[in-house]
Amino acid sequence: MPDKQEVRIDVSDGAAIPRKRDIGLFSAWWISLIGALGCIAYLCLAKPEPYLDILKFLPDGILVTFEVTILSILLALFLGLITGLGRISKNRTINLIASTYVEVVRGIPLLVQLFYIYFALGQVFSNLPNPADVAESMAAWPGIIVYVVVGVVGFLKDMPPLVAAVTAMGVCYGAYMGEVFRAGIESIDKGQTEAARSLGFNRRQTMFLVILPQAWRTILPPVGNEFIALLKDSSLVSILAVADLLRRGREFASVTFSYFEAYTMVALIYLVITLILSKGVSAMETRLNYYVRD
Amino acid sequence: MSATKPIVHVSNVFKYFGQLAALNNVSLDIYPGEKVVIIGPSGSGKSTLLRSINRLEEVDRGQIVVDGMDLYAKENDINAIRMELGMVFQSFNLFPHKTVMQNLTMAPIRLKKIPRPQAEDNARRLLKKVGILEKAGVYPTMLSGGQQQRVAIARALAMNPRVMLFDEPTSALDPEMIGEVLDVMVTLAREGMTMICVTHEMGFAREVADRVVFMDQGQILEVGTPEHFFEAPEHPRAKKFMEQIL
Ligand SMILES: Nc1ncnc2c1ncn2[C@@H]1O[C@H](COP(=O)(O)OP(=O)(O)O)[C@@H](O)[C@H]1O
Ligand SMILES: [Mg+2]
Repeated sequence: MPDKQEVRIDVSDGAAIPRKRDIGLFSAWWISLIGALGCIAYLCLAKPEPYLDILKFLPDGILVTFEVTILSILLALFLGLITGLGRISKNRTINLIASTYVEVVRGIPLLVQLFYIYFALGQVFSNLPNPADVAESMAAWPGIIVYVVVGVVGFLKDMPPLVAAVTAMGVCYGAYMGEVFRAGIESIDKGQTEAARSLGFNRRQTMFLVILPQAWRTILPPVGNEFIALLKDSSLVSILAVADLLRRGREFASVTFSYFEAYTMVALIYLVITLILSKGVSAMETRLNYYVRD
Repeated sequence: MSATKPIVHVSNVFKYFGQLAALNNVSLDIYPGEKVVIIGPSGSGKSTLLRSINRLEEVDRGQIVVDGMDLYAKENDINAIRMELGMVFQSFNLFPHKTVMQNLTMAPIRLKKIPRPQAEDNARRLLKKVGILEKAGVYPTMLSGGQQQRVAIARALAMNPRVMLFDEPTSALDPEMIGEVLDVMVTLAREGMTMICVTHEMGFAREVADRVVFMDQGQILEVGTPEHFFEAPEHPRAKKFMEQIL
C-alpha cells in the first residue's frame, strides 16, 4: 500500500543530487569539490596577488547572495504553499487566480521580471506623490491609516534594490514552488484525506496535520533543488546594484582590471557552494525516509 | 426495535456519478446496537451508501440523519457528526508519518481536547483489545496488513463513536490474516457496538448480523436475517449472488 509514496517530483534545474547508489555521480561530486577547492587553494598560494585579495574581497558578496537566496526562498515557499493549495482548490475563482499566476510568471524570463519590478515599476512608483504631500492631503483620515499609506508610498517611491530583487525572485520561484506543492499534495493517497475527515478533522486540520507532513517527503527534495537553482539565479540581481557574490567580483575586476582572475574565483566559489548544498539536499532526502521500510 | 429511534436514518437517497445512479432511492434505518451487513456485487453501491452516511460522498437527493442530526442541515457541524461515526477502510489508511500510538491519540487530543496521558491510556486499552499493544511505538508500515487493520479499528474506536462503519475491512488482506480482523469485529459486536459492515464474509454475517441487506445497481433489493439469505433468498439476483459467493 505505501508504494504510492514513492512518487518523485523531478525538477530539472539545480545541481544534480547525488544518490547513494549512483557511483558515477557520487565520485563526480568528490572530483568537482576537491578540484574546486584545490584550484582555489593553489591559486591563492601560488599567486596570492590578486587571488588571495579577491578571496578576501568576496565574502561580503557571499553573505548577500545567501541573504537574497534565503529571503527569496522563504517568500517563494509562502507563495508556493498558497498557490499549490489554490491550484487544488475546488473554488473556481481561487483555482483560476492561482493557475493564472503560475502561467504568467512561468512565461516571463526571470531577468525580465527583475527589470520589470525594479526599473519599470520603479519608474511608476517614483512618480508617486511625495509622502509629505500624501500626509497633508489625508489630513481628514484616521492617523493609523495615514501612517500606513505614507509608509507604503515612501517605501515604494524609492524601493531598495534588495527588496526588488527578493520580490522578483520570490514571485518567480513561488510559481514553480506552487507546482512542487501541488504535485506533493496530490502524491498523497486520497485515503489519507478520507481517514482524517472520517475521524472529524476539518479540511484545514487534514491538510496541515495529515497531508502536508507526508507531502514534505516529496516536496523537500525539489525545494532543495529549487534553492540551489535560486542561489545560482540570484547572480542576476547583481544587475540591480545588489552587492552579491558576482557583483563583488565585478567590482574587484573593474578596479584592478583582473577580469580573468576575479571571475575564475567567483565561478569556483559558486561551484563549491552548490556542491555542498546538493550534498545537503541528498542527506535531507535520506533522513526524510525514516518511516519507510526498505 | 421500532419503539426506539433509529441512530442512522437513510431515506430516499439518490446519488449520481454522471448518468450512473450509484444510489437509486435507498432507504435504511439502523437502530442502536444493531449489526447490519451489506452485501451485493461489485459496483452495486455498497461503498457509496456507507460513505454517504458520514458524508464522504455528498448525496444528490434524500435525507440522512445520524443520532438525530441531519447531515445536510446548515446548523449541524459535519465534523462533529463524523466523530460519532467510526470508519474502517479496505485499505486501512493509517497515517504513515505517525506511530501506532499517535494514530490513536491524534484525533482525541486535537478534536476532543482529551489530555495526552488520558488519551494514551485509552489508546493502550484499545490496542490491548485488538491484540497489538506491543506495537504502540512503531510506524504502521512496519506492520502486517492484519495488524494495520486492527490498528485502524482501534483508531476509529479511540473517538468513542456510536456507530462503526466497515467497508470491506478484510478484502485487502492475505487469507491468513482475515481471521484476526474478524475476531476483533466479533468482539466489538458482542460488546454491543452498532455496526454497519460491507463484507462478503458470510460466516461473520451469520455469527453477528441482525440483518443482511442485499444491494444491486444502486438499490436495496432484499433485507433479511443471515439465515434467510442462506436458505431462501427471494430476489433472483440475490439468489444468484448467494450462489456465487458460497
Ligand atoms: N468517485 C466516483 N466517480 C465515478 N463513479 C463512481 C465513483 N465512485 C463509485 N462510482 C461508481 O458507482 C458505482 C457504485 O460504486 P461503489 O459504491 O463503490 O460500489 P461497491 O462498493 O458496491 O462495489 C460503481 O459503478 C462505481 O463505478
Ligand atoms: Mg466498495
